Amino acid sequence: MSAEDRMSNRHDCGGDAAAYVLGALEPAEAEAFRTHLATCIFCRDEVAALQPVADALPMAAPQYNAPSGLRRRVLAAARAEARPAPTPDRRRTTGFRLPRPALAGALAVVLALAVIGVVNLASGGSSGVRVIPARVTALDASAQLRVTDGRAELVVRHFPPPPAGHIYEIWLQRGNGAPSPTKTLFSVTSSGAGNIGLPENMSGVSAVLVTPEPAGGSLAPTHAPVIVAPLT
Amino acid sequence: MQLVHDGEIRAFEVIFDRHSGVAFSLAYRMCGRRAMAEDIVQEAFLSLWRTGARYDRARGSVRSWVLSAVHNRAVDAFRREVVRDRQAVSDEGLAERLPAAEQTDLEVERRDDASQVRKALSELPADQRQVIELAYFGGFSHSQIAEVLHLPPGTVKGRMRLGLAKMRAAFGESAEVVL
Repeated sequence: MSAEDRMSNRHDCGGDAAAYVLGALEPAEAEAFRTHLATCIFCRDEVAALQPVADALPMAAPQYNAPSGLRRRVLAAARAEARPAPTPDRRRTTGFRLPRPALAGALAVVLALAVIGVVNLASGGSSGVRVIPARVTALDASAQLRVTDGRAELVVRHFPPPPAGHIYEIWLQRGNGAPSPTKTLFSVTSSGAGNIGLPENMSGVSAVLVTPEPAGGSLAPTHAPVIVAPLT
Repeated sequence: MQLVHDGEIRAFEVIFDRHSGVAFSLAYRMCGRRAMAEDIVQEAFLSLWRTGARYDRARGSVRSWVLSAVHNRAVDAFRREVVRDRQAVSDEGLAERLPAAEQTDLEVERRDDASQVRKALSELPADQRQVIELAYFGGFSHSQIAEVLHLPPGTVKGRMRLGLAKMRAAFGESAEVVL
């Protein structure tokens, strides 16, 4: 029986799954339904099918930017609340750090590229533009980083779109440290092209990495880099 | 240790910049009051900051976590209110509009997703759309909706189920919408 069949009316569990994912069950009903889910594959399938729809509903609201004053207040409060230093065990579970396998892979690629060396294809040294060819994993694709006065633009051509449900995320690596996320997420045009400006200053950056990540981006890379542009 | 803290602050800034817009939009849509929406979003992000070291990515994306926190806090705030004057906020317009300059059209992905979700929702039969909006954006339980609309609770839940299933089918027919 398919998930679609299970979602149909061929089971009789009270039809609570939709109300549950919408948060419309009373607290006691929701608790009872959670208990029920542990033993009912039909309702689990229905929740699994409907939850992404409920998760998408915030996008139906008129979209605004958060007020700038809110940003200042939240970040000031966060700075004022120094989090307790995580223990080694806790640090392994933090969402703000790079999983060790992904880190090892990223570092290996960067180190390999460091051996190959950086080719400066600037049309003229006086132009102040460094054109850094990047290593890409996709066949027939190309990417280069154009750095001007500490600002960079990633130019990709013939690049495949990210996998379904994913988006490309740009990371900056400083020294041998873990790549840190940027605010930049991107996809490519139907021809595989993209010119993506990075708002961050490249000072101190040793490499620019791109990984496919789940839509909305990640705090730490979950995939190996598909683009690596070494700056040092 | 200060470097560790600084690095976490930078990561937190990135998270805020990526997700605060949709989080604020959801809070504002739910409560219709800017100050209340800002308080809700602030609480949600600071909760993420305080518990970030225990965040488990297997439980979902950061955006899903933040939006769920915003939604839950808004519903909690509604339930604390003695007078639910937010019911006066119509579906068509908000009592307090933000300055136009703060309306964003910068994020193409976000705009496209929003357009697609709005289209799927708007194409539902009115009775199904109504119960979904009352439940999700209004924070009403199915029994409260049944009471307001003079419907059996089972009918309300059935309309929710049909509506969500149709939206799911609509997403499947067009470009993917994910959070």
